[in-house]
Amino acid sequence: MKRRDIIRRAGRSLRQAKARTLLTSLAIAVGAFTLTLSIAAGEGSRQYADKLVGSNVNPRALFIVKDNALFDGGPGQSGLREYDPDVATNQGGVALKQLTQADIDKLTARDDIEDVQPIYQLTIDYLTIEGSDKKFVSEVARYDSSIRNESAAGDLPPLGTDLDTQDVVMPESFAEALVKAGVATSVQDVLGKKVTLTVAKPASQPTDEQLQQALASGSAAALQRLTRGETKEVTFTVSAITKQSSTALMAGTAMQLSSEQAKSIADYTTQGTSQYQKYTSATALAKEGKEPEAVKQALSDAGYPAQTAKDLQNLLFTIVNILQGIVAGFGVLALFASVFGIINTQYISVLERTQQIGLMKALGMRSRDVAKLFRYEAAWIGFLGGAIGAGLAWAIGTLLNPWVTEQLSLGEGNAILVFQPLPIAALILALVVIAVVAGFFPARKAAKLDPIEALRTE
Amino acid sequence: MIEVKSLAKTYGKKQNVFTALDDVSFTIPDGASVAIVGKSGSGKSTLMHAMSGLDRPQTGEVIIDGEDILQLKAKEVDRFRATKMSFIFQSFFVQANETCYDNVSLPLEIAGVPKKERRAKVQKALEAVELADKIKSKARNLSGGQKQRLAIARAIVNEPTILFADEPTGNLDSSTGEIIEDLLFDYNKKNGTTLIVVTHDPDLAKKCDMQLFIKDGKIALATEHHEKRPTVKKIPVGGRRVQA
Ligand SMILES: Nc1ncnc2c1ncn2[C@@H]1O[C@H](COP(=O)(O)OP(=O)(O)OP(=O)(O)O)[C@@H](O)[C@H]1O
Ligand SMILES: [Mg+2]
Repeated sequence: MKRRDIIRRAGRSLRQAKARTLLTSLAIAVGAFTLTLSIAAGEGSRQYADKLVGSNVNPRALFIVKDNALFDGGPGQSGLREYDPDVATNQGGVALKQLTQADIDKLTARDDIEDVQPIYQLTIDYLTIEGSDKKFVSEVARYDSSIRNESAAGDLPPLGTDLDTQDVVMPESFAEALVKAGVATSVQDVLGKKVTLTVAKPASQPTDEQLQQALASGSAAALQRLTRGETKEVTFTVSAITKQSSTALMAGTAMQLSSEQAKSIADYTTQGTSQYQKYTSATALAKEGKEPEAVKQALSDAGYPAQTAKDLQNLLFTIVNILQGIVAGFGVLALFASVFGIINTQYISVLERTQQIGLMKALGMRSRDVAKLFRYEAAWIGFLGGAIGAGLAWAIGTLLNPWVTEQLSLGEGNAILVFQPLPIAALILALVVIAVVAGFFPARKAAKLDPIEALRTE
Repeated sequence: MIEVKSLAKTYGKKQNVFTALDDVSFTIPDGASVAIVGKSGSGKSTLMHAMSGLDRPQTGEVIIDGEDILQLKAKEVDRFRATKMSFIFQSFFVQANETCYDNVSLPLEIAGVPKKERRAKVQKALEAVELADKIKSKARNLSGGQKQRLAIARAIVNEPTILFADEPTGNLDSSTGEIIEDLLFDYNKKNGTTLIVVTHDPDLAKKCDMQLFIKDGKIALATEHHEKRPTVKKIPVGGRRVQA
């Protein structure tokens, strides 16, 4: 018997038992629905994470530390140990090895990386805006020239070029806050305004002489200044305002300035302390043509544990994969239950059609073909269930996507459920295979029926 | 030519052994019509099943066209049945949910006849039993006689060389039964198909060229009966409508 004719007959017998076929395939459809959503959500999150990392991190970027504990998430060294001036101890008594200026110089001298920049701990006392004596505080960070920033107003330097030393860039939200505070009339108005940062040197124990001098001057302010430590004012011009992008990871929250200024401020604020020219981490770019992964290995061997942009991406992917696995687990469970549904339905079908099977065998149909007929019926059920489940998931997912995007504020054009034909086709195919496997025993029962016995049953 | 040589079939084991066929031997010439006659339980159906390779008797030979079908592999026996044999059963066994077309097309599909050729053959077979106008009807909507005619169409569509009929008129009233009988004999004479009819109706047996009387699994009597059938009863196939 020709395969096509078997498939056609299989389809026809299913159509003759519509309700039963539909109910059996609905069990599979539940599994298919869950699995389709899990695949789509996984794909969507991965694409989103990709976009997030891609628009924030240069693929050549390396994140370098001295202490591997930072990556392992471990507690670093704790307990009683010998003093090391290069080790910072935080409140918890946890010690982290830090990069020193010597390390930075060593890294800069390497020929497989470029643009080595320590991550500065920048703290300011306050900042003021030209034309107002209101004081503000904000985070301050080095401008990252390896990220493509979008400007809402003003001009940003081209990718890979640092800011001018006298310029600062602020996020749109800062400019809006300034407008609210009445310092500026519009976001556009903030552009070109002077910003003055006041930074403070850490207080040192004043000498007796200094104390006497301050007392002699009779001014309380002089005394206060003495205990608070020296301060310095640095003035910048707002050269650009960056757009708030939904896929931007860090740009949103800091006033950004050139690395030269960042270093000078960091040096000033840590001068005389144990933190002077000590950095927990640094960033660098793998030189053009160098494989970041290989550079990472070389750095690790040199005593500088590093992570690549890909590592960051993998970290995000790991989280996505775990979540996806949980959802998929439920789908698999539903499928598992549906397998018994198929077996049951097909057994009943074989019993019901004993006489038909006997006739077909008497007419010379081979046992193999009889088994095939029932396996194809199971395959049809699997296909139907898969198609219904995946189709429903696709339809509902597509309808819900805009709402989900809004709820999670993912930004225009991002969707958390991404349906791709190929994985869904693969899923349906897998379901067909599962259904055929489930139909194996009923099909074998049909194939083994004795035609004489079968024809005797009325 | 069908040669049956010392065929024996037993059911059960040891104390419960039941001999359904006991050393049965006979020869049927090509194109003959044969009646297997006997009481209920005498072993008629068992003999028919053995001759068609559906059943495997313990000993004996069934030689069709020089080949012992009992020695063939399952695959070859299936092929034999699909291409050279046909069956008509007492209780029709038409597929009620399927159309007449699909019922008749089944043996062709099993024999692997391409779809293009099937249409014409099905049409021709249905015309032969005067059911051409029911081609698209579901089999369940047919009357008893029409169902048996449909079964005949299904049996002849593949142009078999041997046609087995197990009590083909047993479930029909006598006038409808006669129409079915005439259809079968007519087909037998026109196409030279060997017709083997299992029956306990002596009148039907008389119409056959040859009768095999079975009693308790043994051939009690074999006669050759060459009485010419009355021509009045013969229906020209494809001509006048058959009332069933
Ligand atoms: N599977 C079986 N197991 C045991 N005995 C069987 C089996 N099949 C048939 N028989 C016995 O073999 C004998 C012959 O059966 P068979 O069906 O050939 O009778 P038959 O002549 O066709 O009768 P009927 O006219 O009633 O159809 C019967 O006595 C029956 O009980
Ligand atoms: Mg019988």
